[in-house]
Amino acid sequence: GDSWGIFTFLCAALCNLPALPALNCSEELGAGQSIQQTYDLTRYLEHQLRTLAGTYLNYLGPPFNEPDFNPPRLAHAERVPSATVDLDLWRGLTDNARLAANYRAYSRLLCYLRVLDGQVGTAELRHRLAHFCASLQGLVLSIGGVMSSLGYPLPAGPPAPPGAPPASNDFLKKMDDFWLLKELQTWLWRSAKDFNRLKKKVPPAVVTLRLEARGF
Amino acid sequence: MFSEWNWVAYGFCLLLNIYSLEGGLVQSCGHIIPESPVLALGSNFTALCILNESCLDFGNIYASQIIWKIKNRVVPKEQYREINRTVSSVTFNDTSSLATPLTCNILADGQIEQNIYGITITVGLPPEKPKNLSCVVHQVSQLTYPMICTWDPGRHTFLDTQFRLKYRWAQESFPDCIPTDVNNSCTIPDIHFFVNLEIWVEAANALGKAESDPLVLDPIDIVKPLSPHNLSVNAEILPTVLKLSWENRISDPVMKLKFNIRYRITGDTNWMEIPSEDTASPRNSFSVQGLQPYTEYVFSIRCMKEDGVGYWSDWSEEKTGITTEDKPSKGPPLWRIIDACHSLAFWTVHLIWKALKPYEANGVILQYELTVRDKSSLSSPLKKYNVTSTNLTLQLPNGTYEVTVIARNSAGASPPSVLLIPASNSKAPVKNLRTLPKYDKLWVGWTAPNSYVVKYVIEWCLLSSRSDCIIEWQTALGDVQGIDLKGIKPFKCYLITVYPLYADGQGSGQSVKAYLKQDRPSKGPTVQTKKVGKAEAVLTWNHLTVDEQNGFIRNYTILYKTIDGNETVVTVDPSKTEYTLSSLTSDTLYTVRMMASTDNGSRSGPDFTFTTQKFGKGEIEAIVVPVCLAFLLIVLLAVLFCFNKRDLIKKHIWPIVPDPSKSNIAQWSPQVPAKHNFSSKDQMYPEGSLTDVSVVEIEADDKKSFSEQDLKPFDLLKKEKSTSEGHSSGIGGSSCMSSPRQSVSDSDDGETTQNTSSTVQYSTVVLNGYRDQAPVQVFSRSESTQPLLDSEERSEDHTGGGDSTAERQQYFRQNGGQDETNTDRPCFERTKQITHANEGDLVGFVQLQISGQSSQPLGLGMEKNTQEAALSNVLQTSTEGQTVRPETVEENPLPVDEMPKSYLPQTVRQGGYMPQ
Repeated sequence: GDSWGIFTFLCAALCNLPALPALNCSEELGAGQSIQQTYDLTRYLEHQLRTLAGTYLNYLGPPFNEPDFNPPRLAHAERVPSATVDLDLWRGLTDNARLAANYRAYSRLLCYLRVLDGQVGTAELRHRLAHFCASLQGLVLSIGGVMSSLGYPLPAGPPAPPGAPPASNDFLKKMDDFWLLKELQTWLWRSAKDFNRLKKKVPPAVVTLRLEARGF
Repeated sequence: MFSEWNWVAYGFCLLLNIYSLEGGLVQSCGHIIPESPVLALGSNFTALCILNESCLDFGNIYASQIIWKIKNRVVPKEQYREINRTVSSVTFNDTSSLATPLTCNILADGQIEQNIYGITITVGLPPEKPKNLSCVVHQVSQLTYPMICTWDPGRHTFLDTQFRLKYRWAQESFPDCIPTDVNNSCTIPDIHFFVNLEIWVEAANALGKAESDPLVLDPIDIVKPLSPHNLSVNAEILPTVLKLSWENRISDPVMKLKFNIRYRITGDTNWMEIPSEDTASPRNSFSVQGLQPYTEYVFSIRCMKEDGVGYWSDWSEEKTGITTEDKPSKGPPLWRIIDACHSLAFWTVHLIWKALKPYEANGVILQYELTVRDKSSLSSPLKKYNVTSTNLTLQLPNGTYEVTVIARNSAGASPPSVLLIPASNSKAPVKNLRTLPKYDKLWVGWTAPNSYVVKYVIEWCLLSSRSDCIIEWQTALGDVQGIDLKGIKPFKCYLITVYPLYADGQGSGQSVKAYLKQDRPSKGPTVQTKKVGKAEAVLTWNHLTVDEQNGFIRNYTILYKTIDGNETVVTVDPSKTEYTLSSLTSDTLYTVRMMASTDNGSRSGPDFTFTTQKFGKGEIEAIVVPVCLAFLLIVLLAVLFCFNKRDLIKKHIWPIVPDPSKSNIAQWSPQVPAKHNFSSKDQMYPEGSLTDVSVVEIEADDKKSFSEQDLKPFDLLKKEKSTSEGHSSGIGGSSCMSSPRQSVSDSDDGETTQNTSSTVQYSTVVLNGYRDQAPVQVFSRSESTQPLLDSEERSEDHTGGGDSTAERQQYFRQNGGQDETNTDRPCFERTKQITHANEGDLVGFVQLQISGQSSQPLGLGMEKNTQEAALSNVLQTSTEGQTVRPETVEENPLPVDEMPKSYLPQTVRQGGYMPQ
């Protein structure tokens, strides 16, 4: 009886093997995979931003490129979504809320970044900013993908337009840029943690499939 | 043709256009629908030619008159259809029969063909769906990742077909990638990882559009990274470990890597690979273990995404590293060569050992340490030697020794190798030693002796007559019964010896000669004859030298033949150097050559020719000896017979001539008293004895060397001849004959003066010849009828100047001549020789003879007197030759007067001579 059961199970597993790649691609089962991918992308963007920020702050010149430069956040810089939310409070949010917050934040950040992109002097920096923007756009799409794969609705409406006009002062403008990069870094760092946590919560697609196969 | 047609067409167009100028527009008389179509190959096609109404009225042109043409070929009427008065259609079932241009013409006013309109037709195929789309992200620098996609564009369309590589994210599209110059690949310069990308190819031309199946992927999964660089190899403390370190050119957040490391020993071609599990995680260094000490290794590394999705990078550049030294893993193989020949009490021992192979030496061998222990006497100290070469020669007293050698490098010493040098190789040898060539190696096999063998030593050397046998050797473990010898040259003879080494000594060596490969000899033996007989010949040859043999000589073949005969072949054992050919034909030229044969062929030496003898050994003797004996016997018998019948013979040959001196007439002669002395004496010694009264002897007064005997035989012989041949010979005997006549004439001198004169003539010849050197023609008498006068003149000259030396010379000469002519020369010749003297001198001599003969009847008792008389006479003659002669001549004054002018008639008359 047992051996017959095992045999049946093996047969079933074999029958299901060819279906694996196809199932992998399917959206509902790909949640885990897309979370992993989003996590990887966040890490990749973090890595990119590390070098990009260094280059860009050098481009801005002193005092922005000084390592211990830590200016107070100006009021009008509030338009850049801040990640300085209390960690416990953040953790207390639902996945959906966190994902939505991420989604909104990156959408906003992307808009500012694109403005930044147009102002940069050197071609090399512009190229790298463009690449980073494109990747960040990918992240926004990825988060959207994860949300839809988890069955959450995308945050409604386009991101709010910049509340305040850009700073007229060149130094203040640079200050905005500085804060933009700083916020980006914080967001990316926190997103990575979020997705890592989420990754653990949602089992990878392949594992799910195996469980299903066993159930059969 | 086409251009011609064009001109015609233009002409009609112009004409028709003029017609239509009426309306104020330049307008053709009709047109074709569709205008310049692009058609799919194989489809059907219908074209319409629509005539303008105006033209119809003006030129009476109707659709029924329309003629369709492809290029300048008229389309068959069956394909036409007149739709109405102004429209004609043409239908083609297969567009492949179409060509450009398709023209609509009209046959106006009878036979004039006018072109209305023409269209160009393009025939092609719609694009196929591109297949096999695949993409690879090639890392070209730390941050640059272009993606190259390739696909199969499908069949050729004959039309301009555009390929576009399209890609997009779920909600965002990117600009298309349009390939340049090619239609099957495109490179997207910048790619974003970790977002799924949908990629597909779109192909489009005038006949349609086709899209490939989309490829959805995260570009990070198709990366071919750059290989790790700046690889470095460092030796660790352990001699078997090398540490590799490198730099990765892709950062960890982008891609985690796994690696492959391969390595090989420098000079080797086979790579070894480190198990991939060991390098499956991200890293930038790795320690390779299990390497050989003091060995140079080559390393190279590659990487790919840790999860194995994507592509392996290329192998990195190769880097080498050397492991540190370790102690040698084993002692060097040790052997010895003992020269025992110098003295019996001492050996010269050449200890030889092999340098360790690199994998055994584990480093640079700094020195070898040898110890020699005399086992026969325990008290003797251990001798130690440190050497850097691989041999050591020692002078050792006879005995048993234990030799050990260790190799030392910077890391330490090897375990010792031990060799026992025994007093003699008394132990059992290997059995059944044999060899077998195996390609370029020579396999040596043996059967082990019964007792346990520690190891075997195999010695071999190349045998050559040019150089000494340089021994090479190697060891084999005790459990093997065969090894392959390397570096063996073909066609060379090797002497291979195998010694078994026991724990307590060494077995005696067994040797075998072997060739790796045999060839025929490089030359043949040179054959020679040692002895040639009548029917047999002994052939000898030398063995070929070992260098010439090129293999084992299996046999010699002797091939011999006569010039025209068949060749005979004899096979000879290779150990022989001599062979006897038998049953040969006598006195025949034979050609012989010799062939040496190995297993792989044979070669002949040079030809050698010899001739067999006519007679066998002893054959000549067998014939000659009996013949000689028979001859001797016959001679003996003949002599005996002659002896018995000597009286009879004598009677026949030497008839007794009556002595005129005894006759009564002699007593009448007035000179009787003078001559009587002689004759009486002569009678006592008849014939031969007369010579005792030798003129020479008298002369020998001043030349003692001359003996009586010397002249005796001469005179005797002369006399004999002259007497014996006087009867028989005509001309030849003439001079000889003189004696008997002489005697007669002498005795008859009163009777016939003519006789006397002839006698004088002869006597002149003989005596003068003896005494004087001047050579005078013997036959002057015969040639001239006046010999006397002639000789007189000459003798005058000679005697005048003649001294004793001249005389002696003459004598010797004569004596010599006598020796020569003493044998069996004809009388004639001998006489000539004797009479090589002056005629004048001879006179005296013959006078003597005459007197001798005439005095024959005188007895023995008169000998002395006669001798003296003769002496004096001769002396007188010789010294006063001239004076004597007149007397002699004067003796016959009368005959001279009677026959005043010539002797010739007298001679003829008297002796029956004819002048020669």
